[in-house]
Amino acid sequence: MELMKMMLVDDEERFLSTTKKLLERKGFEVQTASSGKEALDLLRTHPVHVVILDVKMPGMDGVATLREIKRQYPMVEVIMLTGHATMESAMDGLKSGAVDYLMKPANLEEIIEKAVGAYNRRADIEEKIEAARMQGSKEPPPEMLEQA
Amino acid sequence: MTTSTPHQRSQDLYARVKRFVLINMIVVPFIPLLLALIIGNHSFSRSIKDGTINSMKRIAADHRQMIESFLLERKNDLVMIVNTISFEEITQPGRLMSVFSNLQRTASAFADLGIFDENGVHVAYHGPFDLTGKNYHDAEWFQHTLENGVYISDVFLGVRNIPHFVIAVMKKEVGRKWVIRATVDSQRFNNLVRQIRIGKTGEAYLINRQGVLQTDRRSGGNLMETPAEKIPLPAPGREIDTFIHNSAGTDPLLKGIDTFMHNDAGADPFLYATCWLKDNSWILVIRQEKSDAFMALESTRLPILFICVIGGLCIVAAAFTLTGAIVRKMEQSDTEKALLNQQLIGASRLAELGEMAAGFAHEINNPLQIISSERSMIQVLLDEMVEAGQLTPGESLDQVNESVNQIITQLERCSRITASILKFGRQSESREEELDLAVLIPEITQMVQKKAEVNGISLLRDIPQVPLRVRADASRLQQVILNLLNNATDAIIEQQGSTGGFIRVSLLHNDNGSATIRVRDNGSGIKQEDMEKIFSPFFTTKPVGKGTGLGLSVCYGIVQQMGGQMEVESRVGKGTTFSITLPILKAGE
Repeated sequence: MELMKMMLVDDEERFLSTTKKLLERKGFEVQTASSGKEALDLLRTHPVHVVILDVKMPGMDGVATLREIKRQYPMVEVIMLTGHATMESAMDGLKSGAVDYLMKPANLEEIIEKAVGAYNRRADIEEKIEAARMQGSKEPPPEMLEQA
Repeated sequence: MTTSTPHQRSQDLYARVKRFVLINMIVVPFIPLLLALIIGNHSFSRSIKDGTINSMKRIAADHRQMIESFLLERKNDLVMIVNTISFEEITQPGRLMSVFSNLQRTASAFADLGIFDENGVHVAYHGPFDLTGKNYHDAEWFQHTLENGVYISDVFLGVRNIPHFVIAVMKKEVGRKWVIRATVDSQRFNNLVRQIRIGKTGEAYLINRQGVLQTDRRSGGNLMETPAEKIPLPAPGREIDTFIHNSAGTDPLLKGIDTFMHNDAGADPFLYATCWLKDNSWILVIRQEKSDAFMALESTRLPILFICVIGGLCIVAAAFTLTGAIVRKMEQSDTEKALLNQQLIGASRLAELGEMAAGFAHEINNPLQIISSERSMIQVLLDEMVEAGQLTPGESLDQVNESVNQIITQLERCSRITASILKFGRQSESREEELDLAVLIPEITQMVQKKAEVNGISLLRDIPQVPLRVRADASRLQQVILNLLNNATDAIIEQQGSTGGFIRVSLLHNDNGSATIRVRDNGSGIKQEDMEKIFSPFFTTKPVGKGTGLGLSVCYGIVQQMGGQMEVESRVGKGTTFSITLPILKAGE
């Protein structure tokens, strides 16, 4: 299993830099983006496994960014980071394909726990897809893709 | 503009309304009352006046008839004599005496009898005086008699110096005229007129054209005197004049009838009825004091005044009572309205505050997030430095670690506060559905069953097995009830310790189509001074860091939004009862 690559998307620069340093110290490879647009651009050149996405951002907001990510990179797992008042948007996010959500203020352990959980789920799905390939079918069953 | 408090202003308003209602309630009924009384009084007065005047007229007519017939009879007596007895015969000595005797038999009023030839020589006489041989040719009465054939004089004293009047009749025979004259005792005639009495002051008398009394007057004024007052002459003909006469003059009393009031100086006005007698030479006067004549009128004034006063008092009393009631009712409803307004303002202020607090809490979460990350960073760096031997374990390091841990604690506390605030501000989005309280409430109480048992609290349920359907957000209702149950648990622990506590959750179906959820405990209760504030946000009696002061205000907001009401009753040391009343869904809704 390859090393988990993560991307943090938030408009708070200090949060990005500190969290990136902490996660890197824990051995994760971390990208940061301060807007939805930047995140999408960055994904093109630096694919990741898990995106931690702030719901409330200026410009393209979290849910719109999420939809775009899932459209372009269906295998990328997204965790929504939300303030309580935007629980509704977190729910919208879950419906639009986010795998989980984190409530602000979230501590590092929580972030890692959810990110790892998401990564494992992704790996699990990939394994199944791999297994399906092994059994001879060239294409993965459509329902599995959808589930992802 | 003068400054005044709202209380003063509303008091002014009540005073104005009170005045307005009072005036209207007094004036409006008074107008018809007064109108009725005035019209009644007027018609009644008029009818009494007419009646009085008519009866006076009737008396006048009757007496005119009587006097006229007396005079006519006396005249006819003489006419009969001249027609039956010739001049020669009557002038024979002794004959006149027998004629007089016969005459006296039918009419005792005659005092004497005399015969005159056409030259006015008194040729024969029978009576108390010796008048034979006197010549009356130039006397006024004689001239009148020759001219008209008949003459009745006014009352005069004459040679005998007693009041009397004469009746003379002329007889024309072939080649001769002669006259018979009789004297009528004025006293007899006087009595005929004087006997008329009406009421206390009513009287009758005769005057001649010059206003000289022809009879005595009971109220003063003897025969032959001229009364002070000047009354107008009646209209010619058989009409009877009525009038009220006073010293200032004579006023027409009623149109179409000559009715006058006479007022002697210092005396009451009189009501008069006058008519001509004796071919317009005498006037029959019937008069009565006005106050006497119109006594019935006076006597009706009293009841009318009485009705007016009693009616007025009734109106005023009713007006005061009703106005008082109206103003009181108004004040009461205004007070209720003000209270309701206050509650509405309170509720909307709570909602505004909620929104503001939610926005604030959300913004705080971002810096908290950063602090949390930085704390983690410090922790990581500290651990690394200790490992690298850059920091030696000791008291200082322990203190640093403790401080860092304290940051975690305080961050968690902040997070709890913001979470509560955000819950509080989340009131606008709810998912209402149909719920059966009889099912939902046992489910909720089940959740705290364990916690209650641990604290030695018996959790009693009083839930009827009948569906009670309401429209509400299940998770919010659960939040509210759990909040109340948790508060109750805390209060019981404070008051009872770990034994003897109970919480009773009841569900009641009210008659007015609502359901009440009641959570009663025997905990520490709420102090009177805190009762007003318990639903206010950030009000808490719990120790610092334990409560956010948002629980009940959130509950209150939620219940309000469900269209329900939340009430509290409490006694310090005895316990508290929270009641939530929600409208029940009707069948088919």
